[in-house]
Amino acid sequence: MKDVKKVKGDTLNGPSPLVYIPLLLWTAFMGAMLFYIFGASLSVPRDVFTGKVFKYETGFHFENYVTAWTTQKLYAYFINSLIYAVVACAGALLIASPAAYVLSRCKFRGNELIKRILILVMSIPTILIVLPIYGTLVKLDMKGRIPLCIVYICVRVPYTTVFLLNFFESISKTYEEAAAIDGCTDLQTFVRIALPMVRPAMTTITLFNFLNVLNEYFIALLLITDQAATSLGVGLTSIVSALMYSSNYPAIFAAVVIVMMPSILIYCFTSRKIMYGGMGGGIKG
Amino acid sequence: MKKSKTFIACFIVPCLIVLAVTYFYPVARTLLMSFFKTGSVTAPISTWTFAGLTNFKRIAMSPDFRQGLVNMLKIWIIGGIFAISLSLLFAVILSHKNIRGKHFFRAIVYLPNVISAVAIGNAWLYYVYNYDFGLINTVLGWFGVEHIKWLGPDLKFGAMLAAIIFGVVGYYMMVFIGGIERIPEDVMEAATLDGANAWQKLTKITLPLLKGTTKTIMTFWTIVAVQSFVWTKVFSPITTESSTIVPISYMYEILFGSLQSPEVDIGTGAAVGVLVAIIIMIITSVINRLFKTDDLEL
Repeated sequence: MKDVKKVKGDTLNGPSPLVYIPLLLWTAFMGAMLFYIFGASLSVPRDVFTGKVFKYETGFHFENYVTAWTTQKLYAYFINSLIYAVVACAGALLIASPAAYVLSRCKFRGNELIKRILILVMSIPTILIVLPIYGTLVKLDMKGRIPLCIVYICVRVPYTTVFLLNFFESISKTYEEAAAIDGCTDLQTFVRIALPMVRPAMTTITLFNFLNVLNEYFIALLLITDQAATSLGVGLTSIVSALMYSSNYPAIFAAVVIVMMPSILIYCFTSRKIMYGGMGGGIKG
Repeated sequence: MKKSKTFIACFIVPCLIVLAVTYFYPVARTLLMSFFKTGSVTAPISTWTFAGLTNFKRIAMSPDFRQGLVNMLKIWIIGGIFAISLSLLFAVILSHKNIRGKHFFRAIVYLPNVISAVAIGNAWLYYVYNYDFGLINTVLGWFGVEHIKWLGPDLKFGAMLAAIIFGVVGYYMMVFIGGIERIPEDVMEAATLDGANAWQKLTKITLPLLKGTTKTIMTFWTIVAVQSFVWTKVFSPITTESSTIVPISYMYEILFGSLQSPEVDIGTGAAVGVLVAIIIMIITSVINRLFKTDDLEL
């Protein structure tokens, strides 16, 4: 038996060093990409083309960020997307958490059916719903950011509900029953007892929703009719096209850095929650 | 627990309204629209004229749609093979008990998932694939290899596909890791005692037990592959090119772009949506048929 362990070896001493090769390649690629883009965003077009990006012979060119942020109006798209993300997170929680609660705690006709439908709609491709939604928005003639706020809330509701539902089902009802016996109303029990217990799940799903809406592209491209309501993704494509006319690569990279920044920052502090949150809780069915 | 009916109703009705307004009504209307000549997107149903399968015939005859469909299937098959093998490789490595920097590497592989596809797509387009100073050509240059036109007509599709795969591997890896960690410890220990080596354990135990997880990931991938429109938009920002066109970009062109014309109307766009949804349904049910998991449920 000792021989066996020696031959196999890996559970005792760690895996063969070869397995680190793909990991290091990926890390090197990712690192090189982010490092170069950040580095080049402080450079000038001529240095980018002649390969002298990291020499900075003329100093750091922070004006590339001014070009992207102010001249190209990235700030406006940035604010729009932040508003979409915040509103969608709040709205989705507001609608989904009560629904998830009664679906997990109460017996009523149609309960199982609603759960099935929620899971079903998560697999409906966006392409199948956008046209009528677009038509409705045009007909209602709503201006500004409101239409997209509403649409983003709505499309995040099914996933949020299912996620919270799974979590509610995994926690004990004892506290809620005790609260009810002590004379709490249904609403009080929900707000004071049940919601605090699912707070970790609410944080995870909010992070998910936030990043999802912040980085969303397809719905924004189709449904934004008002120029002033343009989102970050759609805005970035038009900024990049505009800057390409003058081959202003540093400013393009500056815009890319700005758009990546919020996601990367959030991820730095919450990577475990985001990674492991999506692993099991999501679409278990 | 007994709750009053009013309470239940107040809590569930908003969610039901959302489902009705965002899913039931739009899906029904899209289905209906695909069989009608509808005119503008706001035209009331009473003004539509029934067109039978005309819309579907029209898109089936369109070379753009056909090319889009071919690209979509290529993305699905080639991309699927690479995305799944790569994420499985990372998952197996990063679920090893004694691997160093486990969480760090997991976080790095997962990172592209949280970044905006437009931002990371432009990073690929303007840096990684750049002919003069791009990452790949620079590295190739170290080995004396001539610069390659990654974004030329021949290689553009592959270049786009690599970027798509790069963006999804981390998520699938985490799903695979979840599957691997659900395999009971004693199964592995028993195999070790019976003298199985690492490779045998991988191929005889881990992989067969990941059948269900693989099925889930294939379903995810199908939805990504079919909706890969954002990548088309990033890799061909101005005009739709045959190397990167997908059915959804064809729909977009009908509705807002260069293909807009009096004959081709919203109904045709709806028909594209319906066709794509049918394709997804067929693929998913084939996957479900092929990967029956009941015999290997843990």
